[in-house]
Amino acid sequence: MAVGSVRVGPVVPRPGLRVWELLDHERFLGPAFVTPALLLITLLVAYPFCMALYFAMSNAFIGRPSHFIGLRNFVGLWESDAFRQTFQNAFVFTGASVALKLVLGMTLALLLNQQLWFKRMIRGAVLLPWVIPTALSTLGWWWMFNSLYSVVNWTGLALGLMDPPGPNWLGQKYYAMTAVVTVNVWRGLPFFAITILAGLVSIPRELYEAAEADGAGPVARFWHVTLPMLKPVLAIVVLFSTIFTFSDFNIVYVLTHGGPINSTHLFATLARQVGLESGQIGQGAAISLYLFPVLMLVVWAQLKFVRRQVY
Amino acid sequence: MSDLSRRQFLGRAAAGTAGLAGILAAKTPPAVAQQREISYLCWNNFAPASDKKLAEIGQRFAKDTGIKIKIDHIAHPQQAAKYASEVQSQAGHDLIEMRMHFPWLYETQLVEVSDLVAELEKKYGKALSSAQETANVRGVWRAVPQYHTFFVGSYREDLFKKAGLKVPDTWEDLYTVGKELKKMGHPVGIPISQNYDTISTAGPVLWSLGGMEIDRDGKTVRISSPATEQMIEWYKKMFRDCMEPEVLSWTDASNNDTLNAGKAGWIHNPISAYIVARNRKMVTADGINHHRSLAGPHGRHETDVPRHIGIWKFSKNVEPAKEWIRYLLAKKDVYDEYIMSGDAFNLPVYASLLDHPVLKTDPKFAALKQEGVQFHAYGWPAPPSDKVQRITNEFILPNMIAKAVTGTPTKEAIAWAEKEMKRIISG
Repeated sequence: MAVGSVRVGPVVPRPGLRVWELLDHERFLGPAFVTPALLLITLLVAYPFCMALYFAMSNAFIGRPSHFIGLRNFVGLWESDAFRQTFQNAFVFTGASVALKLVLGMTLALLLNQQLWFKRMIRGAVLLPWVIPTALSTLGWWWMFNSLYSVVNWTGLALGLMDPPGPNWLGQKYYAMTAVVTVNVWRGLPFFAITILAGLVSIPRELYEAAEADGAGPVARFWHVTLPMLKPVLAIVVLFSTIFTFSDFNIVYVLTHGGPINSTHLFATLARQVGLESGQIGQGAAISLYLFPVLMLVVWAQLKFVRRQVY
Repeated sequence: MSDLSRRQFLGRAAAGTAGLAGILAAKTPPAVAQQREISYLCWNNFAPASDKKLAEIGQRFAKDTGIKIKIDHIAHPQQAAKYASEVQSQAGHDLIEMRMHFPWLYETQLVEVSDLVAELEKKYGKALSSAQETANVRGVWRAVPQYHTFFVGSYREDLFKKAGLKVPDTWEDLYTVGKELKKMGHPVGIPISQNYDTISTAGPVLWSLGGMEIDRDGKTVRISSPATEQMIEWYKKMFRDCMEPEVLSWTDASNNDTLNAGKAGWIHNPISAYIVARNRKMVTADGINHHRSLAGPHGRHETDVPRHIGIWKFSKNVEPAKEWIRYLLAKKDVYDEYIMSGDAFNLPVYASLLDHPVLKTDPKFAALKQEGVQFHAYGWPAPPSDKVQRITNEFILPNMIAKAVTGTPTKEAIAWAEKEMKRIISG
């Protein structure tokens, strides 16, 4: 072949290059990238979830053959006083905790959004409760509420805020619930504060300047500018927090073990007690999956709301 | 590696891969790797010196028998979850330390060890009643009794002497001295909360009054009885006159803490509080002493925490595992050495070893002579079962008492417990 000659006819691709050429197409490259993630999700999420569903509908007991029993576990749970109490506890615990985290988180975010000295250090410090392992920090709280060494009571008594010997934090129903809610709020507050702060920072200053020009005071600016602009962020934060709080385990397990008289049990702690400690895997799985349909509904409603806000 | 050409490297890697595939397919390691090794999972003993001794004995075992042993420890609240996962996955340790009812719970998963227990009983006498109740499942030994830990009265002897109080012998005596102790600012410390120490006191009180939760058929709920009413009335007056409300929130460690902190004047517990106080040279150590657990009109019954060693059926090393049990328990000098290391917290469970030399290592261990005490597992006289286990784990007895002492009428609290127990038994 002479130098400079032109080849005529169809281009036949070299076999070795074919795969690389295929990967140039989004049609092939996309699935190739997504497949490992899908496999991971299947292995780590879908498979355990299906197993849990199967267990929940069986009379599975550790190490023994099991049989399918339909929804009998879910129905039978209502006969248990501990389960009925747990059901009620879960809503009280989640409702109170999420509401407090929302109000306090918003307040904290508004404060952090102000001009502060040592702004970065303070913002970093706010995250501390969220960074420390929950079991460890809850042990600290357990010590603070401990009947023998309670720092909370010691401080209350020293300041004259309590009558001796002070509240029996972990031994009385309502105090125990107050204690677990307090720790959950302390732990979850940074998540709310930092996420809301991110939302606050992204609100255009012009909107505030326009509102101010129209004569809106701080409260009116909050109601008519800040809150509407934050709605999608708040919806997402509340959604995640509701799910996490419903499925909380560490705080109750370390602080009260579900007591006194089951008054602080949550689905996760009761599921452990029934499923692992007593060997009734079927009933344990049913307890942990009980609220799955409700939570799915919450997720669906929240996401729909968020989409409406964004688009 | 610099001498290895790319071709040689690829060749060796291929050979290695093929070899590994062969081993995996055959499920048998090559001869060079066939060193016998067993793994043993046990709890973090409350007498840590005995865990150290166990490790030391394990090293000697490896030297003497050529079988390597890997001993892992786990906190006791994690045991149930860990065992459940090993059984579900049919993989894990060869040997496991079994507490209380575990041999019943995992009956189908445990190797029969009746031959080993027969050898030990021939040597040391019959295993104690609590070991029989918990490790002998329907006539078959599913675990080998290792040692037990039982509850005694731990009291501040110095305070008793100062106030001229008589050491109690019955639960009623305890009420009498308890009133005085509370007046002195040193209340009685018996937990009434969702923990196992609560059951360890409530059971003996109920049994000594002639009561029970479930009958010996394991099916008939017997909690509603005059004996239970008496027990609850006793708890009510103890709670009111001898104790502090803080007992409603206690964990398994709280009674020890309060005795060692110098607050409580009397607690019902194994001797761990004293051992901790003595070893850490706490100021309360000298004042603490022990007496036998208390009696009632129907005798002196005692809750016991028997511990056994079981072998999983899925283990591929059953024979070496049995060799370890023989080495630790059947070699008298090794077993003695092991028991001595536990500061009388772990006591032998065989009849002829009850007056063990460990009891003479400290005059305050004298109350641990086990004469006249009837040892039982939770739920006695019902045989252990998954249902009794569930009644225990749902803390029905503690919650019944907690309800009653916080204002629920006695009969109502008992009716609640009866309903809950019937639900579990019929489920």
